[in-house]
Amino acid sequence: MKPRVAESPAPGRNGDSVDVGTANQWYQAALRSAVVAAVFSLIVVVLLIVNYLQINQCTSLTVRAERLELLKLKILDRPDDKQLLLQIRKLDLKIRQDRIQRHNFSYKGSFLLIGGLAVFVISAKVAAAFKKKLPEPQALPDRQSEQVREAIRARWAVTVGLAALGAVVLFFATRPVIDFGEQPPQKQVWPRFRGPGGLGISASTNVPANWNGGTGEGILWKSKVPLPGHNSPVVWGDRVFLSGADANERQVYCFDALSGNLLWTGNVPNLAPAGAEPVKPGADTGFAAPTMVTDGRRVYAIFATGDIGCFDFYAGTVWARNLGPPDSAYGYASSLAMYRDLLLIQYDQGAVEDEKSKLIAVNAFLGHTVWETKRPVPNSWASPIVIEVAGQHQIITCADPWVIAYDPNGEELWRAKCVGGDIAPSPIYAGGLIFAIEPYTRLVAIRPDGRGDVTKTHIAWSIEEAIPDICSPVSNGELIFLLTTDGLLGCYKVTDGTKLWEEDLREDFFASPTILGNRLYLLSQKGVMFIIEVGTEYKELARSELGEDCHASPAFADGRIYIRGLKNLYCIGRKNQ
Amino acid sequence: MIRFGHIIISIAFFLIVCGAASGVERFPPPDFESGYELPSPTTPHPRRNIYEYIDAVVLLAALGLASYLGLKKRSRRAIFVLMVFSLIYFGFWRKGCVCPIGAIQNLTLSLFDREYAVPIVVAVFFLLPLVFTLFFGRTFCAAVCPFGAVQDLVLLRPVAVPNWLESGLRLFAYAYLGVAILLAATGSAFIICRYDPFISFFRLSGSLNIFILGACFLLVGVFIGRPYCRFVCPYGVILRQLSRLSKWHVGITPDDCIKCRLCEDSCPFGAIRVPTAEWPARDYDKSKKLLALLILLLPILILACAWAVSTGGDLMSRTHATVRLADRINLEESGKVKETTDASAAFRATGKEVKELYAEASNIQAEIKTGSWLLGGFLGLVIAIKLIGHSVRRTRTDYEADRAACLACGRCFEYCPRERVRLKETKQTVGDGE
Repeated sequence: MKPRVAESPAPGRNGDSVDVGTANQWYQAALRSAVVAAVFSLIVVVLLIVNYLQINQCTSLTVRAERLELLKLKILDRPDDKQLLLQIRKLDLKIRQDRIQRHNFSYKGSFLLIGGLAVFVISAKVAAAFKKKLPEPQALPDRQSEQVREAIRARWAVTVGLAALGAVVLFFATRPVIDFGEQPPQKQVWPRFRGPGGLGISASTNVPANWNGGTGEGILWKSKVPLPGHNSPVVWGDRVFLSGADANERQVYCFDALSGNLLWTGNVPNLAPAGAEPVKPGADTGFAAPTMVTDGRRVYAIFATGDIGCFDFYAGTVWARNLGPPDSAYGYASSLAMYRDLLLIQYDQGAVEDEKSKLIAVNAFLGHTVWETKRPVPNSWASPIVIEVAGQHQIITCADPWVIAYDPNGEELWRAKCVGGDIAPSPIYAGGLIFAIEPYTRLVAIRPDGRGDVTKTHIAWSIEEAIPDICSPVSNGELIFLLTTDGLLGCYKVTDGTKLWEEDLREDFFASPTILGNRLYLLSQKGVMFIIEVGTEYKELARSELGEDCHASPAFADGRIYIRGLKNLYCIGRKNQ
Repeated sequence: MIRFGHIIISIAFFLIVCGAASGVERFPPPDFESGYELPSPTTPHPRRNIYEYIDAVVLLAALGLASYLGLKKRSRRAIFVLMVFSLIYFGFWRKGCVCPIGAIQNLTLSLFDREYAVPIVVAVFFLLPLVFTLFFGRTFCAAVCPFGAVQDLVLLRPVAVPNWLESGLRLFAYAYLGVAILLAATGSAFIICRYDPFISFFRLSGSLNIFILGACFLLVGVFIGRPYCRFVCPYGVILRQLSRLSKWHVGITPDDCIKCRLCEDSCPFGAIRVPTAEWPARDYDKSKKLLALLILLLPILILACAWAVSTGGDLMSRTHATVRLADRINLEESGKVKETTDASAAFRATGKEVKELYAEASNIQAEIKTGSWLLGGFLGLVIAIKLIGHSVRRTRTDYEADRAACLACGRCFEYCPRERVRLKETKQTVGDGE
């Protein structure tokens, strides 16, 4: 709507008209200045935009930077190459010059733009002042109908606003909503030794019961593992991790869970201090007995040499370090555990009087030690577990003669003097009780809500028959199962240790048992999987043979079983899964 | 004439040449140069507190002066000079921060978050213009706000926006205010600052998107007076309501309106209200019925809008960093994405459990959902009041400035013949005195 005004000569300082000719001259000058300033500003804007795009999107700058990085890598191999050094310097200089000049161009260009716009605005306003028009009211419109029209239009305008709000709502309604109140999608994972929590219980119950390694029935794939090791597979999504080592090499393997292809091999360097005595583990333990652990982003491995390696899921070494060669009678074998961002290492070694045993918490992200707590125990082979009791987390460890619980800061919460000997079976937590094993001798149930020395106050019960020496126990919270190395399987009540039944399987066992729903999976040393019903009476459901000797506990994830034989890794499952 | 033009061109040329002449820049030596000692890094000192208090004093002085110049002196020229000063001081010198518009969010967050303490200067910046508006009308908008000033300067060819259209467009400012308060109250985001269109001009830096947004506002502002102030500014919404209640207010005429109609088109912001005629009886009856209907529909409209906006609560919650992080972690955990972002990697480094993050995100979602019900109710109320307002028949006998819309810029003064008489009389009085 153009104002109804009549053109008039520009007013002078006192509101009077000035000479028409002079006014016209000033008007022309102001107008031309405005045009020049506008053109100038436009040019500056274009140059600034071009410069901006060159800084942010120009590939030549990126290419140069990448080239420089490559040259810098080359100079590491050829430190005396003067020509290469000169080339790097020239390129570096060029990159710096370019970048700084472009930024300065932007900075100074901004001032030029503001200056140009200021001149344009002043000139345009001066020119407008000379063309200012006096008001010239037209004939009065029909106020009545104008008012009515105005009110109707205004109401319509507001209604359109309401409709716009409705359109926005429709847009919102089509967007997906995330409900964090729901349980996060549970991945089928087996992140550490004996699965989630280290308890030997799998949520993946749709696992096959029959297969045959000889005929290949039920075997989805079989892949050779390059270096030996008795550690169990750990699984996260579509990746299966293992470690293997000998006296010279320590390796981490990542297999594709779908195809069994070896995706990558990560080498953990020997970082033992110079002059350190080489570690010589027993032949039955080997250099790679501890099972790895993963947090879903990274995977961590420890070896009998005390070397630890951390890799991302794409083979990149994140960090590596050495804890010092462990003094272990048979070779270091405790598996890793995790609590939030802490990698927990039960580093028991030597004799009690050596005072070398400790529990170490390493920052999983960076690899440095967050805390370490000395332990009054000799070398042991059990693995720690993390449990939650009344809202507080406890790290449970087991070694001669103490079962000790620590809080996540490494402070001791309670201890019970109840086990002895060479402790290999790991503790478990079920039915509100901690179960620890003294090999060949006894199973002890401890209430974990005490403080200080709870030996006399918190031991709920203990039994002293058919006790394992290597295999860890497993429990569904009502029944607890013990499996000895020579194949004696016992079932006891969690509440008081009453024996319900016992069965001799007539096989040797090194792998720890696992419960899947109402089935108990037991893998013998000869590779025979016994599937037993979890119940108050013994009932064998199935028996399947792999055809290869096995020492490691199997992993269960996503309806599949991953079994590490002495030489191969097997995946057992249904083809349509 | 030609000489003047040449001078302008010469100045522009000189500036270009100067810019190019200093093109050779210093740059730090390469990092592998032997013998070079890197200077120890220094941390710039924070701005001294005393300057903040000086800012508050300058604001107080500028508000006082603007009120005096608008109401007592009635000088558009002086208001213009003060406006340019404010643009330079609060805009370019103080880089547009603290500003009362953004301070809405600080005040809101301090009310809802006990751990957030609002600095006294921010509170002063928020409250002073409100107090002055309550007494003198929107003199802050006239000559103190740098946002208004920069738009006022570029207004060259004003085009009138019909009142009905302005009324509809202004809804956006209410919605913007409501959303900004909701997101600030929940600690999600300070969107007024994030989408401040002129900050990149004041600071000579910023993202290209915001620069383009600001440029668009200025380009539109060449033809439509102060588009940000009228259709977007959330602080303007509050000032409008307070200005309705102001004790004194800038008027077109210094004494009595003689209905000469000379000021009719003088306001580029459409703030001059013309005298009303008597309503036709038929329309009057229809309007009464419509008014009754709208009043009856008021609660329904409020509830409908509240429900409608609440459906967008989940989407709005994504402005909160925790919800965004939970969303990302959720994608990573469900295997939909494989790579981590800096934020998700940092979260994982803390060792915090995912379910804790989800619980936190759920709480925030619930808070924003509740807030979005209130926001919807507020918008429904605004819409209902506007519809009712447009159905109420008012009688007006004089040409007068709309108390809510008038920005007290003083453009209309010189159009009023009574003002000219007053100026002449004042001049004579001064002359007689001499």
